Amino acid sequence: MQLTIEELDGGITRVILDGRMDIEGAAQVDLKMNVVAGSSQSLLLDLQKVTFLGSMGLRSIVVPSQNVRRRGGKVVLFAPIPLVEEVLKTSNINTLLPIHHELDAALDALK
Amino acid sequence: MMSETHVHETGARLTLDSQLADLTLVWPWVDALALQYAISDQTKFAVSLCLEEALSNIIRHGHSCMPNHPITVDCAPNGESWLMFIVEDSAPPFAPSESLTPNPAAAPASIEDVTPGGQGIILMRRFADTLAWERLPNGNRLTLGFQIASPALAAS
Repeated sequence: MQLTIEELDGGITRVILDGRMDIEGAAQVDLKMNVVAGSSQSLLLDLQKVTFLGSMGLRSIVVPSQNVRRRGGKVVLFAPIPLVEEVLKTSNINTLLPIHHELDAALDALK
Repeated sequence: MMSETHVHETGARLTLDSQLADLTLVWPWVDALALQYAISDQTKFAVSLCLEEALSNIIRHGHSCMPNHPITVDCAPNGESWLMFIVEDSAPPFAPSESLTPNPAAAPASIEDVTPGGQGIILMRRFADTLAWERLPNGNRLTLGFQIASPALAAS
C-alpha cells in the first residue's frame, strides 16, 4: 500500500492511496494518514488506485476524516472503483463523506 | 439461518493461527483459488472481503488476538456454480441471530457514529451470496457461499 501527498491550490491536501486497503495495507498507511489529517483542513482522498477496501481500510479513512471534521474541515472521497464504492455505500460512509468522480466537483466540494 | 446447500466435493484448506498477521495468508490462497476456478474479479473481491472480515472478527473478538487457536477455512465447489467457504474456530459462541439477519446499515447521523472497523458483518451480508452460522461443540462454523461462473468447474 502506497500513499502520496500533493498540496493543491486553496489549501487542499490530496492524498493518493494506491494498493489494497486490507488489514495489512491499512496498517501501512494509518500513521501517515493521521499525520496528514492532523494538519489538513481540506482533504481529498484519492481512491482511484485502491483495488480493495475492507472494514479495517474503512477505519483508515474514517478515523482521520473524523479528525479533520472535528476541526471544522472538509473531506471528500475521489473516484473509487465500483467495488470499492460498493463497500463505501454498504457502510453508508458515502452519506458522511461525499464521493465524487470528477476532480473539479471534488475540489469544489472542498471550497 | 442455515444454508440449504452442502459442500460435497474435495476442496482446499487454509489453516491460520489466531493472530492478525496470519491474515496475510488469505490473499495468496484466494489468488490461487481464483485461478483454479476462474472466478471473476468481482467474486474474488467478495471472497477476499468476506474472509478478511470473518477471520479478523474471530481473531479480534473471538480470541482477543491471543495466538495458538487454529482457525480453518475449507473451500470446495458445490455443483458447477457455487463455491463454498467453511470457517471453523474454537472461539466462544458468536451471537448470530441479530448479526446475520438481513438489516441494511442504518445511515449514521455523523461520522462520529461510525464504528471504526465495525462494518464487518454488514459487509459480509452484502457481498456473500449465502451466509450461515452454526454453533459447534467447541466453537463456531460460518459458511459463506458465492455464485461463480461454471465453465472452469465444468471443464475440471
